[in-house]
Amino acid sequence: MDENKTTEALRIENLEINLLMAAIKGTIGYDLSGYAKASIKRRIEQLVIDENVQCIADLIPRLIHSPECQSNFINRLTVNVSELFRHPLSFLSLRESVLPYLASFPRRDIWIAGCATGEEAYSMAILLEEVGLLNNTQIHATDINTEVLKQAKTGILTKALNKEDAARYQESGGTSSLSNYFSAAYGKNKLSQNLLDHISFSHHNLLQDSAFCSAQLIMCRNVMIYFDINTQNNALTLFNNSLVQHGYLIIGEKESLLSSPFNSLLQAIDEPAKIYQRKGI
Amino acid sequence: MPDFKVFIGGSAGSIAPILTILSSLPPDFNLIITLVIHSGTNSTTPMSEVLATKCALTVSEISDKDKLLPHTVYVAPSDYHVYVENKKHFSLSVDKKVHFSRPAIDLLFTSAAEVFGKHCIAILLSGANQDGAEGLLNIKRHGGLTIVQSPESSQMSIMPQSAIDNSAAIKVLSPLEISQLLLEYNDLINT
Repeated sequence: MDENKTTEALRIENLEINLLMAAIKGTIGYDLSGYAKASIKRRIEQLVIDENVQCIADLIPRLIHSPECQSNFINRLTVNVSELFRHPLSFLSLRESVLPYLASFPRRDIWIAGCATGEEAYSMAILLEEVGLLNNTQIHATDINTEVLKQAKTGILTKALNKEDAARYQESGGTSSLSNYFSAAYGKNKLSQNLLDHISFSHHNLLQDSAFCSAQLIMCRNVMIYFDINTQNNALTLFNNSLVQHGYLIIGEKESLLSSPFNSLLQAIDEPAKIYQRKGI
Repeated sequence: MPDFKVFIGGSAGSIAPILTILSSLPPDFNLIITLVIHSGTNSTTPMSEVLATKCALTVSEISDKDKLLPHTVYVAPSDYHVYVENKKHFSLSVDKKVHFSRPAIDLLFTSAAEVFGKHCIAILLSGANQDGAEGLLNIKRHGGLTIVQSPESSQMSIMPQSAIDNSAAIKVLSPLEISQLLLEYNDLINT
């Protein structure tokens, strides 16, 4: 009996989630149905707690009647976190195996898809500066989330530089001191302007928008884990179409292409580092 | 006899009971096992490698959207939450910690309860925080079997005791008794 009640409650909760998704699509135009169910559900439940409402369905009138809630909700449902030189092994391999090849191009476009608060793009700019490739490189950093983009554009780190950041930078093959690339004021660290000038930050929705640019390198880490398998494959199609021949794709440490149809189009350059290269046609 | 999935959560003091349980299982053990173990992020050897040496089954660290395959023990990677996404796949997230933990046992158990319902067997072992108690209760509410390591057999009793206080435990057992129970379920499935 109790078990039936629980099943019924779950059915209603899933119905509420579908209605909320429809309301989001109807008001803001974002289709979140391609997000992985378990994690988006968890984020919606957190929104219920933070908004101090009784149930998921109670979020719907707020969403429909308040433009403020619309951007606020969508930003809270799509926020991702990042850190400088996340997965150092991958940055090290990028430095040693990929950048020498990219150096052969007269100029380079690098797309950081799902840049969150900017750390990945900042790390990339630092790395390129150290190997002397920054000058003819444009880094395009995009995210669906307008709030994190606003933060990323400032070049200011959300958390002050710490020992862990410095350690990851060293493990990534950094040749200087990480703090050399940041100015410090009021307990905050800001990326040097000459590095920041090489990064453009733009809004882009991987679920619905088309290819963003033609790139020699695309980095998209810990973004696709929030997508279901179909949406992951759509994003990978987008990346494949955006890469020049023999261009590189880097994904997150615990992400996998093994079961994706793209496994045959991409060649693993360094599997533990999650670096792949688009095959020639 | 329907299929069952086994979900195990543990924290401080849980490695010994996990090894007791895993080392007792034959290579043809038919229930897929998924583990969330809290561990320090500074451990150099992945947990999956530590466990593989003591276990006749394949031990695999979970990558995003990995399939649940038979005769496998799945282990949550360090610093990622693991969810049961649907009947076939796991999914990962790096969302904020729950009970100061990532991976969090509560998130694995709750998502497992919602996907597999009464076909879950969830086991909560030794630990020094309260992660798991809520997830275990969700498993019980969905009709699954919930087992808690007896506090007296636990190196750290806070975690099992929290689950017992939360009325989430159907059975309270020692690690050896847990092994025996799993083997009985395996025999039932095979007959």
